[in-house]
Amino acid sequence: MVGRFDTDVENAWCPGCGNFGILNAVKKALEATGKQKHEIVLVSGIGQAAKLPHYVDVNVFNGLHGRALPAAAAIKMANPGLTVVVTSGDGDLYGEGGNHFLHNLRRNVDIAVFAHDNQVYGLTKGQPSPTSDAGWTGALQRAGVISGSFPPLAVALVLGCGFVARGYAADPEFTADLMLQAIRFPGFALVDILQPCVTFNKKNTYQWYGKMTYKLPSDRDVTDRGKALALAFEWEERIPLGVLYRKEKPTFEQLHPQIPGPPLFERETPEEAVRALLRRRQAVPG
Amino acid sequence: MEIDINIRVTGGAGQGVHTVSNLITRMVVGAGYHFHVTQDYMSRIRGGRNSQTVRIGSEPVRAGREEADILLVLNPDLLPHYLPDVGEGGFALADVPSADPPLIQAPLKEMAVQAGSTILANVAGTGAIACALGIPLETADAVFKADFKGDFFEKNRTALRLGADWAKENLPEKIRERFRMTARVHSQPIILSGNEALALGAIAGGCKFVSGYPMTPGTGILSVLANDGPSVGLLFEQAEDEIAALTMAIGAAYTGARAMVSTSGGGFALMVEALSLAGMMETPVVIVVAMRPGPATGMPTRTEQGDLEFVLSAGHGEFPRLVLTPGSPEEAFDLAQRAMDLAEEFQVPALLLTDQYLADMVVDIDPGVLDVHPVRRHIVRGDSIPRTREGKYLRHAYSESGISPMAVPGDPGITVVVDSDEHTEDGHLTEDHETRVRMVEKRLRKGAMLAGRVVPPLFAGPPNGDLLLIGFGSTKEVIEETRQILAREGRTVATVHLRQVMPFPVEEVSGIVPRYGTALTVENNARGQLARLIRSECGVRIDGTMSRYDGLPFTPATLAEDVRRKVW
Repeated sequence: MVGRFDTDVENAWCPGCGNFGILNAVKKALEATGKQKHEIVLVSGIGQAAKLPHYVDVNVFNGLHGRALPAAAAIKMANPGLTVVVTSGDGDLYGEGGNHFLHNLRRNVDIAVFAHDNQVYGLTKGQPSPTSDAGWTGALQRAGVISGSFPPLAVALVLGCGFVARGYAADPEFTADLMLQAIRFPGFALVDILQPCVTFNKKNTYQWYGKMTYKLPSDRDVTDRGKALALAFEWEERIPLGVLYRKEKPTFEQLHPQIPGPPLFERETPEEAVRALLRRRQAVPG
Repeated sequence: MEIDINIRVTGGAGQGVHTVSNLITRMVVGAGYHFHVTQDYMSRIRGGRNSQTVRIGSEPVRAGREEADILLVLNPDLLPHYLPDVGEGGFALADVPSADPPLIQAPLKEMAVQAGSTILANVAGTGAIACALGIPLETADAVFKADFKGDFFEKNRTALRLGADWAKENLPEKIRERFRMTARVHSQPIILSGNEALALGAIAGGCKFVSGYPMTPGTGILSVLANDGPSVGLLFEQAEDEIAALTMAIGAAYTGARAMVSTSGGGFALMVEALSLAGMMETPVVIVVAMRPGPATGMPTRTEQGDLEFVLSAGHGEFPRLVLTPGSPEEAFDLAQRAMDLAEEFQVPALLLTDQYLADMVVDIDPGVLDVHPVRRHIVRGDSIPRTREGKYLRHAYSESGISPMAVPGDPGITVVVDSDEHTEDGHLTEDHETRVRMVEKRLRKGAMLAGRVVPPLFAGPPNGDLLLIGFGSTKEVIEETRQILAREGRTVATVHLRQVMPFPVEEVSGIVPRYGTALTVENNARGQLARLIRSECGVRIDGTMSRYDGLPFTPATLAEDVRRKVW
């Protein structure tokens, strides 16, 4: 069946790639928002995951590696009427774009961020990503990864993110629901999505995730940040899926005094306003 | 010029050097005269060696002078450094015992204490200078009134008068005679720094989104936009780094907002990948690069024009860009508006290249000479959006001019797709070689069109003669005054001031250069980057470069002397 958001752009992913499940989930979630195509902007960086926006018939900003977040935040600031969703990889969001990840968690612009977390750099052929498990042998680390892995959910919680969840590419229905909640959440919302890389990651496979993951009960208290943080650190023995934390706070748009009003591109600049600014600089007061 | 008095005020950061300069300039304007301020300061928050030089004239002043007629030293430790600046017939004021000419001891501290606060030594010194110039103090009172409340307002007034009274009693009559300025009728000019003028020009040009990471000397522009921008609905956000700053501006520009960033060379180095992104996505954005000496951190608060070649060639890949080089606050106001407009019309990044000297230069301007152009938008909306037979909007549709009508996300019925990869007309990524060729050519056609709209260089002097001096950006007025000095000596000297260096005004410059015996560029850098640019763009002979790269701006008197030595 041809869906409302399908495009005829040729797909560049490997057969069996976890990205297909994520794409499926994104389309389902967007469908459920009831939004029109022109109201949605998908923003990404670079990598296989970052090609996803091309496969969805909405507005697309496919920028530079690591730079999805600053572009997305500014798009939302400039025109808050748009629904802005970032969909990009773990290397893009947590590695190259690490600084933007930290500071946009603080900024709390109302955007939803879907991180395709396959713990590997696929497009560049198998190097470790920031979330690779220590000891994992990447294309450039023959002795195994020495650095500890980057814990995105814990970092998000510590920096005050109001919506923190984990999805799984092999369960599009479940993940689509998390995505929908993230899009509807007023503020920066992170869904880290576990995604097997069938070509380069022979450790974190569908079978491995099937064994390791479990779903959090949907009726649990999601407003306790301490408990959420404990869940965010669960990895070695089992891996929780679902909403870890959800608590609203004022968004950037609600707090920034220049955002209320029409989108920036519709705002005029009357000559008299400019003249008034010049007059404010008159040499002799009075 | 009938009146040409150069006043230098020096002290540590935090001693109120700026206050003295601010008060003097306003009193000077109140008395019907003009001024130009050059700022020289160190990269620190307190202490050090800062100075501001106020050159006063009976006609508009647009360049500095090295020799000081009046020197006010707020920190006596700095005397040995600055006392040699005082020229013949001039004098220096400092609170030190056993003063020998040209130094006169002024009891600044005592007067400050008497006025009620030791920090007012600078205001007492200002009063003494005002007395030497014979200008009324009332303008300063109005400034105090606007800035201070109650008690502190009174203390400032008192300190100013104590200084003036002391000078009346103690400054030799000969000095007061020499520097006396007869009060004239004053118009109501405004005071602008280069940074302020540029920022207000950007506002006038319809700028609505500014993101930035502070970096001297580009920060002043961010402050004006953050503080004055809200009155026209401008949104400012401080970015986490310069990479984010320019990427955010491009994101905002994608939604149709006119967007700008401001930085210096080091920050621009971080922005370079996003510059290339703007080139690929054909997103209009304005980038101010206020130069300071490099490489690396260089001399953070000083001036240089060393990033010309960097700005011209920055960014991987080939794409058109506009590089404008304002030479004065007035030009900064004008060219910032043009940059905003041309960036959007041609969907290219537009760079405004300034430097610390221009950024921090302060002058009086008749606001009537500042043109505010109506903001002409180049964005298509609603029914004016072109669509294919299938109803699709093509963000990068091929066209003869290379410019594709720009729609923005949110318009019903269409989607706007942009990509950093090479893309098809509809914005989706492609690896098709034929499309690649067509897209490269489409983008470059915009550059050719842009070259047809070049902001022409300004020419002054006889149509042919001994010497041609060519400069870009902040050297404009220094070169002009140098020309006047040399012309008075009977030399036939002409000048070219470049307001735009990319696309380069090839025809104009190629036609002028061969008409003079010697052609020199004047550049605040060591390697003669403009000379190289002219040679490569125009294929004409440039005989050499008047260089200065100590971190300080040129001044007309010394430049004239250096030219004499080099040419004659």
